[in-house]
Amino acid sequence: MEYNSMTHSRIGRYSRSVSIFGVGATPFMDINDDPELEGLTEGEVFGCAAISAMEDAGIEPRDVQYFYHCSANPAFFNNCVTPNMQVAEWMGMRGRGSVHHSEACCSGYVGLEQAVMAVASGTYDIVLSGGAEMATGLPDGTKPACFRRRITTDDIYPDLVKIGDRAYARSIIGGMNVGSDNWLDLYVRTYGLTDKEIDDTLNQMSYNGRRAAALNPLALMRTPFEDLAKEVGIDDPMEYLRSPYNPKVSQYLRVTGNAPAADGAAAVIVAPTEMAHLFKTKPIEILGIGASCLEFAVPQLEMQATREATRQVYEMTGVKPEEIDLLLINDFMLGSQLLAAEEVGYLPRGEGWKYVLEGRTAFDGDKPINSSGGRTSYGHAFGASGMADVYEAVIQMRGEAGAHQVKKTPKTTFLRGFGGGQNVRAIILRTAE
Amino acid sequence: MKLERLVKPYYDALEEGKVLARRCLECGAIEFPPHYACNKCGYHATEWVELSGHGWLKTIILPAPTTDDARLKPYGRYGFGEVEFDEGVTTNVVIYGITPKKRKVLRERIANGEKVGVHKKIVDLGGYKGLHFELDEGE
Repeated sequence: MEYNSMTHSRIGRYSRSVSIFGVGATPFMDINDDPELEGLTEGEVFGCAAISAMEDAGIEPRDVQYFYHCSANPAFFNNCVTPNMQVAEWMGMRGRGSVHHSEACCSGYVGLEQAVMAVASGTYDIVLSGGAEMATGLPDGTKPACFRRRITTDDIYPDLVKIGDRAYARSIIGGMNVGSDNWLDLYVRTYGLTDKEIDDTLNQMSYNGRRAAALNPLALMRTPFEDLAKEVGIDDPMEYLRSPYNPKVSQYLRVTGNAPAADGAAAVIVAPTEMAHLFKTKPIEILGIGASCLEFAVPQLEMQATREATRQVYEMTGVKPEEIDLLLINDFMLGSQLLAAEEVGYLPRGEGWKYVLEGRTAFDGDKPINSSGGRTSYGHAFGASGMADVYEAVIQMRGEAGAHQVKKTPKTTFLRGFGGGQNVRAIILRTAE
Repeated sequence: MKLERLVKPYYDALEEGKVLARRCLECGAIEFPPHYACNKCGYHATEWVELSGHGWLKTIILPAPTTDDARLKPYGRYGFGEVEFDEGVTTNVVIYGITPKKRKVLRERIANGEKVGVHKKIVDLGGYKGLHFELDEGE
């Protein structure tokens, strides 16, 4: 079946080269019931990530000329609107120009795109972009920000429906999350996978992610599946993953195929590559960012938007899929990890599932994907997650990822951002010469 | 351009059992649901057209704990999927008459190139009518 009911774009080269010079991130946490963390606020986590990024770059808040702030839905999660000037107070940037933006789970990737364009245009030289979300809880009435209560599915499902267009889509398409199953179903039908083969593939991705997360101090879910299996008397972690302890919650995805909510923030500092002498880190250049957005009722929207954004960025940069050393995919619904990896050309079409089952896509494999652990183990602080992927890409490209460092230090990294309605960004980073 | 309501006439037509869309004045593509401009070719102008309300089922996904929609239960067993209208436009919709056993059979038929017909089923979603589909008789 051909899917092509959309318009297409071309993107031009930046007016000047832009690079990342600083990154900062908090851990992805669950602050509830933790005496060390309970009461943390959005301003504190954003401020921590932002100042960490400045420290990393070797600059002070006074040096940053403009900033972008994003969260998936500040009115819902933080009972506020235009929080950019509120978080400015936390990082010594009172009075500076700034923008708040929300593209749900794609926000962080969009934040990088906007910051790059601000610098590439010549408007600003040093720009910060960051995302923050306190996604495990909700404001407790009208009390100050440190008073929160734990979020429930009854809270979040009515809010998720808002991703669909209110004029038409919500009345036509019914339930949510069908898009993930629909793309997996297309893959299974096209390449003739059995129910067991696709289930094993998804479970292997869960397993690969948890192995990386167990070694990543910033990740939320760090208990290895071996340990969780033993707790219920099962020796084989894969048997545990396909057992009733890990039930299916959609047609293809099990509990471990959906990302757990997290609290956290991440931020980057971008500046012209030619100004590298001002910073203490080596530049990671943003070669290009493709973009495509499709409304929720459009069939196979994730596949179509990924294809379009990917075509744009490959055409603009001249980079070829075989040059990609590391792939980071927003996989809050786990199937995206495999499907998008094939769509961007990182894994051969119809063969990617075999790469997964052979362990080749694990952080220590020869085709690493989501070396941080991925959304389903690293956790998902919705509006901050994209920027956390940028953080992961940069520390991997510097060779500073520690225990979860990929085997070959990546020179070129591809990030596929996705979320909210849905927005897609295709980003290529390269270590500057 | 003239400021014109499209959303309200769409729902008003559903009350009368009709499905409205727009047709591109340049390329002729059907724009469903109705919008001002054409999302196929990017031309700015479209005109009203009534659809047959019949189409062909392309994919089927079963509801599950994270996707089930409680509003649909009164209308029977259902699934989600892509439907291509007779007029050529494809969209994600709700289809009634889908059970796990039925899905398996229909999925194989679609994979073998057979056409599975569906037609409009206009349902009350709580104070307004929504366009869903059900399997044609005999499917």
